[in-house]
Parts: sequence; structure tokens; C-alpha cells
Amino acid sequence: MGSERTREGLVGYGFVAVPMAFFLLFFIFPIGYAFYISRYNWQIFKGPFVGWGNYRTLYHDSVFWTHAVRNTLVYTAFVVPLQMALGLTLAVVVNQSIRFRTFFRAAFYFPSLAASAAIAAIATYILASDGLFNTILHHLGYHHSNAWFAQQSTALPSIIGLNAWTTSGTMMLFYLAALQAIPVDVYEAAAIDGAGAWRTFRKITFPLLKPGHFFVAVVSVIGAVQMFDQSFLIGGASGGPNYSTLTTVLYLYNQAIGNIKFGYAAAVGVVLFAFIFTVTLIQRLLFGKAEVA
Amino acid sequence: MAAEGLPPAVAAEQLAKSEPAGGTGSTGIPGRERAERINTAIAYTVMFLVAALFAIPFLWSVSTSFRTLADTVSGFSLLPRHWTTSGYHEALHTFNFGRYTLNSAIIAGAITLSNLVLASLGGYAFARLKFPGREVLFMLVLGTLMIPDQLRLVPIYLMLVNWIPAWVGHLGWHNASFVNRNGVILIQLVSATSLFLMRQYFLTIPRDLEEAAKLDAAGYFKTYRKVMLPLAGPALAAVGILTFQGTWNALFWPAVLLQDKTQYTIPIGIANFVGAYQTQWPPLMAASVLAIVPILLIFVLFQRYFVAGVAAAGVKG
Repeated sequence: MGSERTREGLVGYGFVAVPMAFFLLFFIFPIGYAFYISRYNWQIFKGPFVGWGNYRTLYHDSVFWTHAVRNTLVYTAFVVPLQMALGLTLAVVVNQSIRFRTFFRAAFYFPSLAASAAIAAIATYILASDGLFNTILHHLGYHHSNAWFAQQSTALPSIIGLNAWTTSGTMMLFYLAALQAIPVDVYEAAAIDGAGAWRTFRKITFPLLKPGHFFVAVVSVIGAVQMFDQSFLIGGASGGPNYSTLTTVLYLYNQAIGNIKFGYAAAVGVVLFAFIFTVTLIQRLLFGKAEVA
Repeated sequence: MAAEGLPPAVAAEQLAKSEPAGGTGSTGIPGRERAERINTAIAYTVMFLVAALFAIPFLWSVSTSFRTLADTVSGFSLLPRHWTTSGYHEALHTFNFGRYTLNSAIIAGAITLSNLVLASLGGYAFARLKFPGREVLFMLVLGTLMIPDQLRLVPIYLMLVNWIPAWVGHLGWHNASFVNRNGVILIQLVSATSLFLMRQYFLTIPRDLEEAAKLDAAGYFKTYRKVMLPLAGPALAAVGILTFQGTWNALFWPAVLLQDKTQYTIPIGIANFVGAYQTQWPPLMAASVLAIVPILLIFVLFQRYFVAGVAAAGVKG
């Protein structure tokens, strides 16, 4: 019996060996290695040890703070409430017991699944100077002749609008799960009291969704502070025009892949990780059970 | 949700099968019927409007992909004035999207296959085999979901440049490079999400079936192969579909590692195209349609498996 247990244990290790080696090498180890690299003036080759030098440089890096961090914070501050509002609206609407519900849910969810590159290309086309959006505005009597992504003042807001739309489907599904966790008898009680639809939503549904709001907010914030794709696709590697779409992750990408400043880029990565880790940890503490479900 | 003892994973699974629980079921209360009808009418209107709004960008890109270049600058028309497939022809041949599509398929296919094998084998072990440290190792796997890609960019890039080629050189694979497709595949061989989904599924399979296999003196691998794997169809489908969708669409690691144009994926090809030939709308829209259609087909055919992805995203946070 004892040898049988040993055998089971050995087989178990054998079955998880490749995945565990993989996770250790490409996930766990890079945490420490990133910090190690960040302490060196590491360009194409490992240079001299600089201690906290890269972090000091980062602290005084005006492009990082006034453009990358600022844009990321502005983006997050606007996109998160928009995603939540859109997601909740869609969830409430498709949660009604009506026909084609499955179809609508699928239609609203699909933009979340399509390639960000394809969606960004389509958005570039629609928001071009002579694109569909300006054509529609023109017919509504509002004349706008610039490409929305090419202007410094409208590029980031356009990306905010774009991403609020594409991710609203995912937020909708999270909110749907939260909505369906609300017991039916609560609504029955409201109906007996003669509460209307809007009142029921405002007084009952919305407050009861509190855990849902918090969960969606955290997921949305973690996604937003890591925004990369749309800036890279629309603003190019430099986050143009004139840094107006530069995000922190795109900045890190540029320092590493564009400028070959690996030590400095690693320092940026460590700082961003510390920030995201804190946000995630807060979420874990409050939603910790999810992972052992 | 989780705070109410119902983790997102479970909630999302229920979502896959159940009809709406809350909402406005008929209560038989006077005056309620009329309010309900108005409610429903509003909901329908909103849904159709929003669905149309969601569909317009996609339909517009399809419409443009069948236009001539001249057609795109001669004022608004809903449908192409002259239908042509030259946009697709240019995209595939002139702008190399034929090659990029193949590259995307190779990368997404290889990563999907390895996720299916490694996650099912590992998921079976984590669900069923007892070995010291199992729970700690599994928490470690889930912990990797908290490590963002941007932190891993520099270390992984340097590892792929310096260490991995040296290691595989010792194994006899000389002058190997990993700042290319090999690297993109290598660093995504298995994901914590895939492993998590497989383990959760295996936990739901009744143990009696394995007991029967044990009586036949079947080994652990045989039990996995002959008993567990054939029962794991839905989980394998979910892992396969989600992994394929994610890697087919992925931009970040290909943008870091693919430098040779002949290895570009569709998203990298599009990024490059947007920067270089922005106003060639018909081939650009054709390339976008090429990127979207496979995922649309998979979504239409296997919609319910995507819900598992939402559950996993809930875990990922």
C-alpha cells in the first residue's frame, strides 16, 4: 500500500513536471530576474551595477510622468465608469425574459472576442477624416473634418470610447452573473409594494449589486492600467500624436524593444507590477474564494 | 458573486445553462401586466438599437473590403458601387496577409495543442493524484495570473536571447533563435487558466469510473488516457477554443518577439499596415475581416464554451 502511494506521488509529480517547470521558468523566476536587471545599466549587454539608479531616473523622467502615467490615469478614470455603466445597462437589458435573449447577449459580447488589431483598424477607418463617423456628423449638421485618432486632443478620448465599447460585453457577462445571484423573492416583494421598474432598479437591484460593482471595477481597473494594444495600433510605438496616446506599458515596450534600455525598462516593469499587485491583492483579499472554487 | 459565497466561476457556469432567475417574472399582480409590456417594449427597442450599433462597424468593414479604392473616396454609399474581391487579393498577395494568416494559424495551433496536452495531464494530476505539496503547487500556478506581462517582458526577452539558445545548444539544437515564432510558442506552452479549467472539470467526474479502471490494473496514464480524457470533452473544448482565440488575437508577445516580416501574424501585419499605408482601406478592411471571421465562426458554433472563459477571467481578475 505504501509503495502504491509512493508510485501515485511520483506519477503526480511526473504529470505536473513540465507545466511546473514552465511556470517557474517563465513566470516566477522573471519576477526576481526583472528586479536584478533593473539594478544594472543594462543595454544590449549587462553594464555596471547602478543600484537604485534606474529608479531615480524614472522618478525624474518627465515623459513617463507627464505623458505615460497621466494618459494611463486619464484613460482609466474615464474608461472604467463607462465600461461599468455600459456593461450594467446591457446586463439588465438582456436579463429580461424576452425572445432572442441569447442572440443579443452574443451580439453584445462579440466585440470583446474579436482581434483588437482588426477592431482598431476598423475604428481608424470609421474615424478617419472622411470616414463614416464624420459623414454621419456632417448629416447631423456638425462639421468635423479631422481624423479623430490623428489629433492630439481627440486621440485618447477616441480610444476611451472604442475600448468602452469593445469591453462592455465582458462587463455585461460579469454583471449578468451578479444579477442572477439576486434572489427572486426580493423582486416579488417590490412588485407587491407596487414599485415601478426604474424604482425597483434604483432602490433594489443597484444596491444589491454592490459586490458585483466592486468586482467589475477591479477587473476593469486592472485591465485599464495595462492598456497597450490600442495605443500601439493607433498611436504607433511612440504613442502619437505627440505622446497623446502613450501609456505606461507602451512606454516600457519602447524603452526595451525600441531603445534597448533593458535595465531601465525592467525598472518601469517592477514599478508597474508593484502597483498592479497591490490592486490585485486587494481584490484577492475580498474575492479570495474564487480561485479555489 | 464571490462575496455572497458564489464565486464568479460557478455563477458563470450557471449563466451558461440557466434562464434568467431575477428580473420581472409574471406575478399576477393587477397593473403589473401593462408595466411589464412597456418594459419589454423598451427593452426590445434598446436591444435592437444597440445590436445594430454594435454590428455597424463590422458590416461597414465588410462592405469596404469589397470596394475599389476609388469607391472609398467618392462619398457615402451603403454597399459597394462595384463589387470586387481585389481588396482581398491585394491583402493576401501584395500585403502578404496570406503568409500572416498561415503564421497566425501555426502559432495559435501549436500553442492550443500544447495547452490541451499539458493542461489535461497536469489538471488530472492536480485533481486526482495525491502527492506532497500538491495544493501549494496549484496555488503557485494560480499565482502566476497575478504576474503581468509587462514585468515579464525584459527578463523573458533576455532569457530567449541568451539562455534558451545556449540550453538547447547543449541538447544538440545549435544556433537556435527564440526572438521569433519559436519564442512566442515556447512562452505560451500552457497557461494557468487552461490548467485551472481542466482541474475543475476533472474534479466533477465521479470517482467510480476510475475505481473500475483500477480494478483492471490500469496504470495512471492509461486511466487518464482511456477513462478521464474521453469524459473531458467539454473542458478540452473550452480550453482549446479559449486558447486559440486568445493567441490568434494576441498582439503583445508577437510585437515583442516577431521582428522578421516573414513571421508576422495577422495582428502584427495590421499594426504595420495601419502605420504605413493607412488609406488603402479595402485591403486593410479585408485583412481585418480575415482576422475576425475565424473567431466569429468559432463563436457562433461553440458559444457556450466562451462562458467558461469569463469564469476564468473572474479567476484571473
